[in-house]
Amino acid sequence: MGTLATDYYQVRHDLSDKGIIFSFVGYVSEAALVALGDALRKKMAVQETDANTAKRVFSVFVEQVQNIIRYSAERLDETDADTRLSSGVVTVGAEDGRFFVVCGNTIRREGLESLRTRLDQIAGLDKQELKALYKEKLREPPEAESEGATVGLIEIARRASEPIEFDFTGIDDEYAFFCLKTYI
Amino acid sequence: MEQIYHEATDRTPLVDFNFPEHHLLIQGESYPEDAAAFFGPLLEALRGFVYTPRAETLVMDLKMSYFNSSSAKALMNMFQVLETAAAEGNPVEVNWYYHPDDDAMEEFGEDFSEDFQHAAFHMRPLNDGGAA
Repeated sequence: MGTLATDYYQVRHDLSDKGIIFSFVGYVSEAALVALGDALRKKMAVQETDANTAKRVFSVFVEQVQNIIRYSAERLDETDADTRLSSGVVTVGAEDGRFFVVCGNTIRREGLESLRTRLDQIAGLDKQELKALYKEKLREPPEAESEGATVGLIEIARRASEPIEFDFTGIDDEYAFFCLKTYI
Repeated sequence: MEQIYHEATDRTPLVDFNFPEHHLLIQGESYPEDAAAFFGPLLEALRGFVYTPRAETLVMDLKMSYFNSSSAKALMNMFQVLETAAAEGNPVEVNWYYHPDDDAMEEFGEDFSEDFQHAAFHMRPLNDGGAA
């Protein structure tokens, strides 16, 4: 058994080994999104990341975190979008010079198949098809937002350098864990 | 219709809807989680103004540097209102300002331009040091 410092140094070491720039586990809010996004942009600016790449990374990061805020099944405040706290995992890293964003959150099992169907569809489209579908979703009236995540998921796929990866694992009869990884 | 003015915040853009001057401006970054709550009242105000017959051209300037997908949807809803008003004979001009190195904003401008037939839509690349 390690000491306080050795244990947490090991955690940091394991994360660094995987190229992880930061990883946040717990309740995220809009304020946390702004703060983490700010840190991410500064890190990319210091590294002199290409400006268009940095914008794509930021865009994927925002859409992924807002999906957690909106759709995580573990939420503390249902009423106000600004103060809503939703539990999830947000990880940003770089592998072989490419950035990636991984987000995960708990979902209700009854929503799993429709989410999988939408993700399968999006993952199978090329850039032109994604662009056309994005436009189609934007043109729909605001009330048709029951599948609000779709525009966000298409935005993520448009900024990605390869098809989005996603996975699910069961937690219990009621809940499952959903994970989405995007390379930029 | 009175002027609507919102200072920019961390995640919402500067908004200056100067209806008396027939000039609307949205500038900066937009990524509120609930974009409908932010843009809804603006869209309502625009609807209340734009269909009243007028001879002056209503000019909308957009100087965006980043927006999330739900803000994109809100912008599209505004553009649909502007295009409908223009089709009914109320002149509208939309200026899409972007940094020439900003691929995403240039592409969004081109995408949005395809939906305008009656309103004039102009792509306006900014010089270095521009505001967007």
